[in-house]
Amino acid sequence: MAARWIEKVTGSLEDKKRYRQYKARREQLPGSYRTAIEAVERYLMYAGAIATGEVLVQMLEDLVDLFEQSAADGTPVSAVVGEDPVEFAETFLANYSDGQWINKERARLVAAIERAETEAAAEASQEGRANGS
Amino acid sequence: MGKQATEMLKGTLEGIVLALLADRAAYGYEITAWLRDQGFTDIAEGTVYALLVRIEQRRLVDVEKVPSAKGPPRKVYSINAQGREYLDEFWRTWSFLAERLEQLRKGEK
Repeated sequence: MAARWIEKVTGSLEDKKRYRQYKARREQLPGSYRTAIEAVERYLMYAGAIATGEVLVQMLEDLVDLFEQSAADGTPVSAVVGEDPVEFAETFLANYSDGQWINKERARLVAAIERAETEAAAEASQEGRANGS
Repeated sequence: MGKQATEMLKGTLEGIVLALLADRAAYGYEITAWLRDQGFTDIAEGTVYALLVRIEQRRLVDVEKVPSAKGPPRKVYSINAQGREYLDEFWRTWSFLAERLEQLRKGEK
């Protein structure tokens, strides 16, 4: 799933190259770390909806850095992701919110509220004039 | 650590890690180990790592990659000027909060 997804979202060849390198590094991990990283990656793809290729590959590279280092240190998977793997995935994901599709909607919400405030100010001044006359 | 402690810790972990790095540079595993020693036993290695990624993105720390005998090069984190400013602000906020909460507790008695 991730592979097709990435083709859709990455325009740049550099991002594709980095993604291939990420996959190669992922395949080199010992079994339990590979199982864990694949599960976290899947979650990040679904929950993240990251629409920017560069942010996406950066996230995956940071993720595989963590798992490679943990494998080298002998830190068990359970200590890497903790008691609540969803909590870990969400904390990790928060660093890459710049690339999330939802950002467009966040910006739209902020702009709409600003517009509403401008309208409220205009209404208030009109009312003021009406009362004054 | 209970759920409440974990929640409170989440909001202060950035400051705690920067305070630690103000003393000396460290890599991720050392930071987690130190936190465990201090009684923060529930903290996942990955959560600390996510925090380190964040403070690196916000340029509060400098990062140096140091070759390692086993495994990939280690990222060593050290606090920079911007990080120190952030840490000062953290301590000011902390003092304010601690003082207010203490007053609140006294008021209840």
